[in-house]
Amino acid sequence: MKLSKKGASPFFTRSGLMRGGVLIAVLIVMPQLFPQHWIWNMMFFTVLYAAMSVAWNLIGGFAGYPSLGHAAFFGIGAYATASIFKSSEILTNGWQPFFMLPLVGLGCAILALPIGYIAMRVRANIFAIVTITLLFVAQTLGYNLKSITGGAQGAGLSVAPFHLDIFEQPFYFAAATLLLFAMGIAYFITKTKLGMALTSIRADEDKARGVGVRTTGIKVITFAVSVGITGMAGGIWAYYLGFIYPQFAFDPLITIAIVLMTFLGGRATVWGPVLGAAILMPAQQLLAYYVGGSQIYLIAYAAIFLLIMLLLPRGILPTFLNKRRMDSMATKGDLSGTSTTPVTTGGSKS
Amino acid sequence: MIELLRVENLTKKFGELTAVDACSFTVKEGSITALIGPNGSGKTTVFNLITGYLPSDSGKVEFAGSSIRKQSPGSLYRKGLTRTFQQARVFADLTVQENLVVAGGGKWTNLFGRRITAEDQSRAAELLDEFKLSHVADLYASELSWGQRKLLEFASVLMSKPRLVLLDEPTAGVNPILIETMATHIRSYNAAGVTFLIVEHDMSFVMRVCDPVIVLDRGKTIAVGDPETVQSDPRVLDAYLGD
Ligand SMILES: Nc1ncnc2c1ncn2[C@@H]1O[C@H](COP(=O)(O)OP(=O)(O)OP(=O)(O)O)[C@@H](O)[C@H]1O
Ligand SMILES: [Mg+2]
Repeated sequence: MKLSKKGASPFFTRSGLMRGGVLIAVLIVMPQLFPQHWIWNMMFFTVLYAAMSVAWNLIGGFAGYPSLGHAAFFGIGAYATASIFKSSEILTNGWQPFFMLPLVGLGCAILALPIGYIAMRVRANIFAIVTITLLFVAQTLGYNLKSITGGAQGAGLSVAPFHLDIFEQPFYFAAATLLLFAMGIAYFITKTKLGMALTSIRADEDKARGVGVRTTGIKVITFAVSVGITGMAGGIWAYYLGFIYPQFAFDPLITIAIVLMTFLGGRATVWGPVLGAAILMPAQQLLAYYVGGSQIYLIAYAAIFLLIMLLLPRGILPTFLNKRRMDSMATKGDLSGTSTTPVTTGGSKS
Repeated sequence: MIELLRVENLTKKFGELTAVDACSFTVKEGSITALIGPNGSGKTTVFNLITGYLPSDSGKVEFAGSSIRKQSPGSLYRKGLTRTFQQARVFADLTVQENLVVAGGGKWTNLFGRRITAEDQSRAAELLDEFKLSHVADLYASELSWGQRKLLEFASVLMSKPRLVLLDEPTAGVNPILIETMATHIRSYNAAGVTFLIVEHDMSFVMRVCDPVIVLDRGKTIAVGDPETVQSDPRVLDAYLGD
């Protein structure tokens, strides 16, 4: 029978700092090992999608509000960046757009406040539908606000003046920075009362309201932070491609990919979405590389999603952590006299 | 004793059905008041109206002298009015200790502070100890038995040091030993100044713990008084036995 450890829960644990350090090292060293452009390209997209998955997880995982409209903010971030940097005069060394990204993110977050306030008056399931409509509204605007987006003809940004040999690198490091930022927020959430509040909203929002959790403010601000990061990812992406079309900037597949990555790796964990992205994005790119530019990965997505729901409904990481927890409790005999059912969201009567 | 809660002509319709029908009663500060009535007489609905979970159609609700109709459950919680649910509601994905801490209230700036501070821990430990939940403090609430969940929900609404606690069937589905524990806790917190309004079907529990007793039938208050008087009131017998 183990009592809680005495003293406050710490902000930084040694293992947390160590994992963070290892990630930073990997992010820096990994790409140096591969000179090939296609690998750099693959790693750029992996890290970019990891950042977006971590961001999606803030609202979709921790708070349990599965947004299907994140691609709208990806596109808005992309076009915001495109319109700021249409003219090449601003560019002197190519790095300026990256420093403008926080503004793009802030803009997306501010835009998300009223949207989130309205969309989150409904509960999780309906929220998913409301947000998917948001995506199609944004897409329609993308096609029709020709003065800003260039419509279906697309919008060009000035080509980044990086040397061709290392062209992908600045974008990769920008995406890696965004990933670390997003993970920092996720980590902060797990270590503060904000994380408990979000979990209580996910578990039973009405009950949470009744014990004084400030549900509306918390979920709207979390939504804003989440889509702010997604907008920044859109900005990096737009600058990387140099030319963007509404079809790809507001692509439902972006949302599907980040949702799938989060579900695969494990919702409501710091590392789950990163793990999911690290598995799925290279798999998708390799498939495209070897099979050709087909859409086969779409079928693979559907299959993977079914498999996760059937075999690992909680995702890889939580399943693994729960098993470890059960094992350690079984050896300590902690569960004597109580139920041994594994933790489930919803929590059935035992 | 002053009136802590005053309900006047409170009415709530669900379509054709008038679940609460011009219902009036008061709860005196420091009392353990029971709210009883046959199934479907509107007890839970009255709780939902008082605690801001449902909007009422008309009537008045006053808490500590000021109107609280149309206030949200959260702001009422911060004013010291809390409740439990008929089907115990705890946060399945939080540990037992976290369930208490998350209900601890406090300023919004605390959200950015540590998940569990030393102060939270000692406050939670007190309650866990009292409610004999210390040994399951680190289990997820989803791993608790039904009765333990009822205890946990009760303990968690006490975290904020409330003035008035509404308990919806605290003993339903709880084993006899835990029922005694429940009665002991209610009495001791009452002695410490907490007022209770309790919906309960277990009449022996009501007899032992509560005074006065308010009887509801079809959304109306039909009797108020001490347990013995109420039990022998013909209108009450009629409500329970009639049609
Ligand atoms: N949300 C709702 N929508 C429609 N009808 C409702 C709703 N809530 C309660 N009712 C109806 O209102 C009436 C009163 O219900 P309520 O739950 O308040 O009774 P109760 O006294 O708590 O009963 P019990 O002792 O069974 O818990 C019932 O007929 C019930 O079916
Ligand atoms: Mg009821």
